[in-house]
Amino acid sequence: MADAQTQIAAQLQTTKALPVSPTWLHSFMSSSSTALQRNVPVSALIQTALFRVLASDFRDSLQTTNPSTLLPTDIFDPTVQERRLQGPIPVQVLDIEDIGTSLWGQVEAMERVERGEAVRGREIVRAVNVGDDDNEDGGGGGGPANDAAGPASENESHGPHRLIVQDAAGTRAVGIELKRVQGISVAKLAIGAKMVIRNATVARGMILLSPDCVKLLGGKIEGMDLAWKEGRKARLLARITEMQGEGQTG
Amino acid sequence: MSRILCVAEKPAIAKAVAQHLSGGAFQTNNVTGNRYVKNYQFDFNFGAPWGHCHVTMTSVLGHLTELEFGREYKSWLSCPPGALFEAPVHEAVSSDKTAIARNIQQQARQSKALFIWTDCDREGEHIGTEIRKQAKEGNARILVKRARFSNTERAHVLNAARTLIEIDDLQANAVAARIELDLRIGAAFTRLLTLQLKPLSSALEDTIVSYGSCQFPTLGFVVDRYLRVKNFKPETFWVIKVMLLREGIKVNFLWKRVHLFDRAAVTVMLERCLLAKKARVTKVNQKPTSKWRPLPLTTVDLQMMGSRFLRMDSQTIMKVAEALYTKGFISYPRTETDQFDKAIDLKKLVEKQLPDQNWGQYARGLLDGGFRTPRAGRHNDQAHPPIHPICWVSPTALSADEKKVYEFVVRRFLACCSEDAKGQSTEIEIEYGDETFHAKGLLVLERNYLDVYVYDKWESSQQLPSFQMSEQFEPTEAKIFDGKTTPPNYLTEPELIALMDANGIGTDATMAEHIAKIKDRHYVAVNTRGGGRSAVKELIPTQLGIALVEGYDNVFAGMPNNPSLSKPFLRKEMETRMREICAGSRIRQEVVQESLDMYREYFVHTNRRINALKDAIRKYLPN
Repeated sequence: MADAQTQIAAQLQTTKALPVSPTWLHSFMSSSSTALQRNVPVSALIQTALFRVLASDFRDSLQTTNPSTLLPTDIFDPTVQERRLQGPIPVQVLDIEDIGTSLWGQVEAMERVERGEAVRGREIVRAVNVGDDDNEDGGGGGGPANDAAGPASENESHGPHRLIVQDAAGTRAVGIELKRVQGISVAKLAIGAKMVIRNATVARGMILLSPDCVKLLGGKIEGMDLAWKEGRKARLLARITEMQGEGQTG
Repeated sequence: MSRILCVAEKPAIAKAVAQHLSGGAFQTNNVTGNRYVKNYQFDFNFGAPWGHCHVTMTSVLGHLTELEFGREYKSWLSCPPGALFEAPVHEAVSSDKTAIARNIQQQARQSKALFIWTDCDREGEHIGTEIRKQAKEGNARILVKRARFSNTERAHVLNAARTLIEIDDLQANAVAARIELDLRIGAAFTRLLTLQLKPLSSALEDTIVSYGSCQFPTLGFVVDRYLRVKNFKPETFWVIKVMLLREGIKVNFLWKRVHLFDRAAVTVMLERCLLAKKARVTKVNQKPTSKWRPLPLTTVDLQMMGSRFLRMDSQTIMKVAEALYTKGFISYPRTETDQFDKAIDLKKLVEKQLPDQNWGQYARGLLDGGFRTPRAGRHNDQAHPPIHPICWVSPTALSADEKKVYEFVVRRFLACCSEDAKGQSTEIEIEYGDETFHAKGLLVLERNYLDVYVYDKWESSQQLPSFQMSEQFEPTEAKIFDGKTTPPNYLTEPELIALMDANGIGTDATMAEHIAKIKDRHYVAVNTRGGGRSAVKELIPTQLGIALVEGYDNVFAGMPNNPSLSKPFLRKEMETRMREICAGSRIRQEVVQESLDMYREYFVHTNRRINALKDAIRKYLPN
């Protein structure tokens, strides 16, 4: 059993850059004892372990002994113009937000889904081009300031996204999706989803995310994800109200 | 010589057809009991097998018959409104049309055959069957044929008279199904709403709270937009703008991200631009570009473009277009087709416009080599060509509204037959820090169709200085600007038509009526925004309109598939079934039963949760 445990730890470290904590792994092994007795191959156990790690809270499942797998504790420092994160640093997503779409636009999109108007195949067509230059294959200008149309598709957020991520030690950092990363979207990326950051730039306290420094592992933390989804609209509305207030006083 | 009875949909068509068939030599007789309908008598040779015949050409005035409930159901309190889903209905000649029906019966008695000249669309097909019924009552053995025509130009009419076809009972059945559904569903819901809601507010004292399965989704669109405008919350966004001064020209580069709603992120992005110091040109794209000439004109397009450019509402446009068609100036204005049949001699139609003072010269240019075969759209209703002018008419012969619509139809037609506008576009893309920016320029080289189609705008922009691929430069300026999001505008009529079209509410022939209906019922009001040439007419729901939509949405809240009657889904399904009847894949009774079952379920539900509607009325209207 000890042998299997070492094997799993080594495998998760080399293939996924996840330094699993011995305590967590130990309890995983004891919960899998029946499987072990039935001679389940180690490769299958590795799969199960990975699945569990991705569904766990990294603060419980990863070790914090090697500082290079952790975010610097002063990462948020806005006075630092630029620094590099060597990594690999495994982190979990605590929050995701589409900063390319107005909050109100996001609320409207959610309400359409609530009203059952955005179900696939029976969506109400709301945006029509009346005599716009839709047939022109050149010319034109930039996008208008009118944000009323919201994101093009109900199920895809527009991006770029701003994430809040957390490492195994509980340090949090803001990540900005500087270049489009496949899999980062409000609908697709669950709260508690895991990713590994490598060779990333941090500018003014924000990690600049791009496909070459982010590897998405997937997964989620069920309870947190549920609570986040349930509270999302209320949070958006609260922020809008807050902003209107600022607008009036300022 | 045999006698033939011809019946058109309206008197003006009967007269125009009589004129062409008789060569002008016909005798006009009055019809006892109706001032508008006349009988025109003449001789005409229809060719084999009919040969030379005595002809009586007459008309109806639209539908002859009405579907109605039995007398015992007519009073509003005679039965619970829900009973109207099953109550027996019968078709009867409308009280104001009895003289016309009698005329057809009498004429049929002496005639060997009946030729139907109603408009070639679904309604026309149904009116044809109504005429056939009356004719058969007069003469059970009468033969029945139909003329297929889409304008009243002479050669076209003569050709139609000699190539008669059969009446299409499938299309007539679809209309019959629609009529029955509209009657039952409309009457049941209207009675329910009126009886239940009227006592709640003094504002409803003298009104009927009507329901129609097209009316409500139409209203739904107006309310939906109104609420989006009203609930809108402006938010601040930030933009990075990059400017380069080169060869004395200020080149403004636009941010590929357009704008973002996170100030800190934008600040970091700008800082990284500035740190990079130099921008690099990653794309220099200079290519010929064109603005396409418009597609051939359909009814929906005529209504949309018309209400946008001619400042007339869609119903007025359709009335005027009908008049122009009846007088023989334009082709049939109810069509979904946006492709011209190869058989139509378009150049000949262009030639007819030569005498015009305003666009005659342009038409001449087309004939002298500028002519291009029109683009073909994807729609073809197999019944009518796109709307086009049939002949030239002097502006002095037209009313002010007619002149505007006629001019639009002609200019659109000539534009279709023209070359696209040509230009040269330049696109420069740069990478600056981690960000991408672009600048675009347009030079219009040949205006072509734009010269006649004055409604489209396409103009040269500021010219860009020259850039080399991969060249690096330091921008003169890079700054963050902020702005605020703005609410959408209230719905305009052309937008509403486009929404109805996209969501399958009504047909091209009925959309304008539905819009007029929700105005008549005071569910929406028309408001003018701006002034002068840029004035826009907006549709804004009244308190009653908002109350009805909110009430209905609450009645159906929480039901699976959101069947609220203010949403287009139900009607869209019904519209699809009508098409299936026309195609012969479904039968009328089956469709009627199925739709009634569905609406009955929603009716029961509405009845049960009527308080949700009442609450909405109390919320918005004074009691």
